[in-house]
Amino acid sequence: MTSLLQRVKSKMAIFAHRKARGMLDGEYGSVFRGRSLDFDDLRAYIPGDDVRDIDWKASARFGSPLIKRYVAIRRQTVLLIADTGRGMAAESRDGETKKDIAVMAFGVVGYLAHRHGDVVGLVCGDANGTRSIPAKAGEPHLERLLREVDSSTSLDSGHSRIEGQLEYVARNVNGRFLLFVVSDEHAAGPDTEQLLRRLRAQHEVLWLTIRDADLAGEGHSGQDAFSVADSSMLPAQLAASPAVAAAYAKATGERDAARQAMLRRAGITQGHVTGSSAVMTELFALLERHRRAG
Amino acid sequence: MELMFWWLVPPALVIAALAGLRAFRQDRHANARRRPVANADRLTALPEYQGALRRHRRWLVVAALAATTLLVSAVAAAARPVELTTIQPEQRNRDIMLCLDTSGSMSSADAAVVQVFAELAKEFDGERIGLTVFDSSAIQVFPLTDDYAYVQEQLTLAKDAFDGNPGSAGFLDGTWNGRGSSLIGDGLASCVNGFPDTAADARRAETGTTETGGQRRSRSIVLATDNYLSGDPIFTLEQASALAKERDVRVYALNPGDFDYGPGPGQPGARLRTAAEASGGAYHQLDSPDAVADIVHSVQENEATAMKGAPRAVVSDRPELPLALALLSGLVLAGASWRLRP
Repeated sequence: MTSLLQRVKSKMAIFAHRKARGMLDGEYGSVFRGRSLDFDDLRAYIPGDDVRDIDWKASARFGSPLIKRYVAIRRQTVLLIADTGRGMAAESRDGETKKDIAVMAFGVVGYLAHRHGDVVGLVCGDANGTRSIPAKAGEPHLERLLREVDSSTSLDSGHSRIEGQLEYVARNVNGRFLLFVVSDEHAAGPDTEQLLRRLRAQHEVLWLTIRDADLAGEGHSGQDAFSVADSSMLPAQLAASPAVAAAYAKATGERDAARQAMLRRAGITQGHVTGSSAVMTELFALLERHRRAG
Repeated sequence: MELMFWWLVPPALVIAALAGLRAFRQDRHANARRRPVANADRLTALPEYQGALRRHRRWLVVAALAATTLLVSAVAAAARPVELTTIQPEQRNRDIMLCLDTSGSMSSADAAVVQVFAELAKEFDGERIGLTVFDSSAIQVFPLTDDYAYVQEQLTLAKDAFDGNPGSAGFLDGTWNGRGSSLIGDGLASCVNGFPDTAADARRAETGTTETGGQRRSRSIVLATDNYLSGDPIFTLEQASALAKERDVRVYALNPGDFDYGPGPGQPGARLRTAAEASGGAYHQLDSPDAVADIVHSVQENEATAMKGAPRAVVSDRPELPLALALLSGLVLAGASWRLRP
């Protein structure tokens, strides 16, 4: 089995070639930089760096923008929060397994954190229980985290319940962390909103939603489906009926709006992806939004 | 109602049970062909989807019921449902010749006879009837026939003539060609000769092949006469009666004017009785023309009883109900399948 982290890095390299090299580095650094009064060195400006960090005098001398770097006084701790229930073993909107998209997103964020010198931990589980792997530095540790997520998510896992993992974090984690949550299109409820507000008060929270497969309407593949929750069959011909498709489109729109409104009210930066090819772009936009919001 | 191929049912039941077992066994790998999706309540919680699902299930139930009915009725039809009945075949292969004396004194009795037979002819099915009238000579008005419309038409004409209705006198033309009047022996002999193929019958009787020579038809003559002879007939009544007996024809005599004095054998009524009974028939004395109907009916019944065959068991297939049911359920199944098509 090829290394999961290797796969993530190769994807990132492709992305970096396509856009601008190190763009994500800049985004991440400007969001989660460690600030102090001890100046470290100067480096070239990378799109995404905070304009406030530009050393204008040095830039004027040098001819192109330069960024001041400081020795961070404190390392950030990134906590990846993963749902390893059977819901994540289902299909995403693009037809991939949602687990693969989640591993990709965790890999990118974890690798960025690693490059920045931050430590990365994991909280994962399903409705039956939650476990955590303490934050550490290093690529082998990151690889271990990704494998944990990859191997514990299957159709035989327990039911998905991201609130379980969030409650675990709220109960057991002290200190101010960066929480990176990857979840699916779960329904917004008042309890969840309460929990998110509670977490947001203590931590910084980034939320990535993986879009679930379309069950009716235009995006529907016309293939029979089954619900991973109870193995019940969803006949494609029923979903194909125009009345059902219309009602589905309306209900899905309301559900998405409710979830986004809940996250917005809780002050959480959110993004959503439909497939692993969109993970880079979406994470970039997510970090950008987070920087602007912060 | 019985099943002729009843042994078809147990194997059919076994096969149906196996098929049912296979159809209803939980297929663990059924979901392998389907896509796994999460948060299915996005769809399943919709009332529209639940309605569609209910309709879908209803059609599934309809299809299952139709398939079951189709199977059951097909097996039932294949097992050949038969009805066993015992019937007593009534052979309606009688030949009746009406032999009417048209001398003046007989007209009311003749009218009653033709009226009765005109009514009887409505119910005839297979019987043949002929009409011969005679006075001094015999005229065959119509030969033995089963054209009942024609028979009724002719009998109605005859009744008009006997009733003396105007314009019908020509009906009896030709019955006075001989010398004398009421030549009963000649009339009866003519009637006996009116039965077809008597020569062949005689041959058959000689060689004893009567039974193999097809179905015999019973023969009877309804002879209405008062037996008052005036003239010199070729056949005497006794000779004509012997001829009838030889030809196996029963003579039923109706006499409206039996004015015999005493029991002497020479009296006209007694002679007629002897002649009729000698041929195996019967003699009826008519007190009024109204009695003709009853007498003729009783004669008819006697003849009918004599001609009833032996009881026979008849096995008749009755596949209509299961086949109709199979057709119906097949149509329903086709409709449901069309409705359920993916």
